[in-house]
Amino acid sequence: MTEGIDTHLPAALRARLAADYAAVRPLPHPLARALVLAPFALLALVAAPWWFELRVDMVRLGWAQAWGWSLVQSIAGVVLVAAALREAVPGRAWTRMPLALWLTVPVALVGVVTFTTYGASPIAVRNGWAIVGAMCFAGSLATALPGTVLAAVLAARAYPTRPALTGLLGGLGAGLMADAGWRLFCHFSEPAHVLSAHLGGVLAAGLCGAALARRLHTRRL
Amino acid sequence: MNASPDDQALRALMASYQAGRFEAFDELYALVAPAVRRFLTGRLRDEARAEDVLQETFLQMHRARRSYDPAYPVLPWVMAIARHCWLMELRRAGRRPMSQLDVADVHPSVRAEADAYAAAADLERALGQVPAGQRQAVVAHHVWGLSFHEIGAQLGIAGSAAKLRSSRGMRRLRELLGSGRGGDDR
Repeated sequence: MTEGIDTHLPAALRARLAADYAAVRPLPHPLARALVLAPFALLALVAAPWWFELRVDMVRLGWAQAWGWSLVQSIAGVVLVAAALREAVPGRAWTRMPLALWLTVPVALVGVVTFTTYGASPIAVRNGWAIVGAMCFAGSLATALPGTVLAAVLAARAYPTRPALTGLLGGLGAGLMADAGWRLFCHFSEPAHVLSAHLGGVLAAGLCGAALARRLHTRRL
Repeated sequence: MNASPDDQALRALMASYQAGRFEAFDELYALVAPAVRRFLTGRLRDEARAEDVLQETFLQMHRARRSYDPAYPVLPWVMAIARHCWLMELRRAGRRPMSQLDVADVHPSVRAEADAYAAAADLERALGQVPAGQRQAVVAHHVWGLSFHEIGAQLGIAGSAAKLRSSRGMRRLRELLGSGRGGDDR
């Protein structure tokens, strides 16, 4: 393996490493680290309905369509953050197919939830489409931001070799958690509204995560 | 988890470096640096720059030591950091990476065999025509010297699947080079 070439750690590099050397504990499994966001997921789930009110069609939707889908979204969000944290470990980055799958999860899940909810309780936005849309977009995004930041910071504690992708996954996960609560407040189930404003907020959180993770990694180098 | 003796030694060294034995990094460097150097020299085609990036790689390994999980092989972790440092170097130098693997990447023993097959440009072209998944496995095994188990871990597939890809890649390479010469994919 050595082939007669210099195999000694250069003295200058050795001194540099020794200067800030300390024992470390290996990072726990990505899923265990992602559970750090569980309180955030819980808070995001109850924040919007608690602060404002529960959607007016809760009874018509029933527990499964309302709280059930939101719980599924929250759990999917935590799993996406775990995927981001695994992506942040060198040598354990996702290959193309699983990565495509992870990136499809938020869109597919919000799509399924939207059409199922609309089927059970179709409520369209009649007035102020843009204002309602902007409010839901901003609300979802603002609720997602603390989780996005936390996911990016957790990822930066490893060594993401594709930081933007790592941040994107983490941001999408946080976005799903935030929208899980936001959909319990917003009763407009019209697909055009949900897929633009709510899903838009989730995707925007992903983009914020990508930018933040990249920035954090650049600063570290 | 099944691991080669070399890998076991590397895992033990890395775990011991994490635990606080600084000297373990000297041994780790001795075992891993040649493969990383070969990888970087092949890509940068400039030994001085490769040496700089090699040192940067070990500096980043040191900084990222917390991210190494002793349950997994060391080399894929190291190579991922080396690849990242290489790409950073290209970005710093304002150059774009070459899209295809070039002949300089190939391990000397493979290169000697390749010389017998065809001119360097032919090999480069042929490697470019091997399907990406098979090319990754061929390069990781024959150039980087990773075991199939390690390649499997890195690509997210079973070790046997990595071996199959490598074997098919080598067969395809031979076909492309227009030689009926036999030989196992070792």
